[in-house]
Amino acid sequence: MPKRGCLGCSFPVIIGVAVIVLALLVVSLLGGPVGSKLLGLVGIHFELPAWASVLKPEPKLPAEAILHVGGFLITNTMIAAWITTIVLVVVSILATRRMKLVPAGLQALLEFVLELLLNFCNSVAGEKNGRKFFPVVATIFLFVIVNACLSLIPGYGSIVVIEAGHKMVPLLRGANTDLNVPLVLALFSFVAVEYFGIRTLKLRYLKKFINVSKLGSGVKMLFMGKVKSAFAEIFFGIIDVAVGLLEALSEFIRIVSFTFRLFGNMTAGEILLLIAAFLVPWVFPVIFYGLELLVGLIQAVVFGGLTLVFLTMAVASHDEHSEKH
Amino acid sequence: MNPETMNPETLKMLAAGLAMGLGALGPGIGIGILGYGAMQALGRNPEARGPIMTNMILAIAFAEAIAIYALIVAIIIALIA
Repeated sequence: MPKRGCLGCSFPVIIGVAVIVLALLVVSLLGGPVGSKLLGLVGIHFELPAWASVLKPEPKLPAEAILHVGGFLITNTMIAAWITTIVLVVVSILATRRMKLVPAGLQALLEFVLELLLNFCNSVAGEKNGRKFFPVVATIFLFVIVNACLSLIPGYGSIVVIEAGHKMVPLLRGANTDLNVPLVLALFSFVAVEYFGIRTLKLRYLKKFINVSKLGSGVKMLFMGKVKSAFAEIFFGIIDVAVGLLEALSEFIRIVSFTFRLFGNMTAGEILLLIAAFLVPWVFPVIFYGLELLVGLIQAVVFGGLTLVFLTMAVASHDEHSEKH
Repeated sequence: MNPETMNPETLKMLAAGLAMGLGALGPGIGIGILGYGAMQALGRNPEARGPIMTNMILAIAFAEAIAIYALIVAIIIALIA
């Protein structure tokens, strides 16, 4: 016999909860800044009490400093980054302390996540390279997603310390909402790409950026007297050099786009949550919390996946590629 | 336009709004095209729902990043500059 009810509750309970949630939504919609302005036009004055309303957010782009140690600033995003690292390390230690052949609990969860990542690496880069790239990709993925999820814990940004200037500063703030942390991740990915490229292809890797072979042969032809074909060769040689320069440039532009994609998404999410909580204090922000969970996952996949694709492109030999086709 | 109302603050807000609005135009069209393509693919091949969904979301994340750049510019104009 199928159980009556929905989500494990009987219908009256569900309906009651839905009514309460809807009532809260309507009250906060009317009592929030938008609703009270609109009602004020009609001549009704209705505002939420002070304890229930949220102060107008003042989003700040640079991370705020918490401590000064010598000449060194410790910002709230740095503390969040350390917490992320500590969480990852502690969870890994707890999961691998008593490893079993048939995993259960935390170990099973971790193995599931890592196996998904490893399969992803293998499917993009192939068996041999996938295992080599896995540490880089998994580190970036786990850092970004754990960081994004941690900063969504209720109360994360509410712990406030008072700085020297009598200014309230949140103690914790998602590490990727500071431009420096995504920049570090992007540089890490950049260095990994160049390292694997040079290690696998040796000097041939640099040929992708400095391609003067055609230009050289064109100049040689010019001296040998084959003027007509020499000019064509030199022309294509110059194009090759320009293409190489563009390749090198795009390598650096990657850093910028990596950085701003992650930073922008995380910062926009943070500001969106603040503003949603300000406009309609109750119920409404929950939707955006769900959205931000998804955004954190997608950004982690994008950052890790793009790093993986660039790594794969870097180790793919140019000559081998053209021979295949 | 009355020159007295065009103080720097007004222009700043105008600039921030324009930056975000115009910057969201392209990504909006792009995401629309992506959704169109994904729906068509889904209609032709409903079994491939999983891969289509994943790839669509990934591609949307790339298109959305452009709008996010515009958002950063708008925030910088409105709050910092």
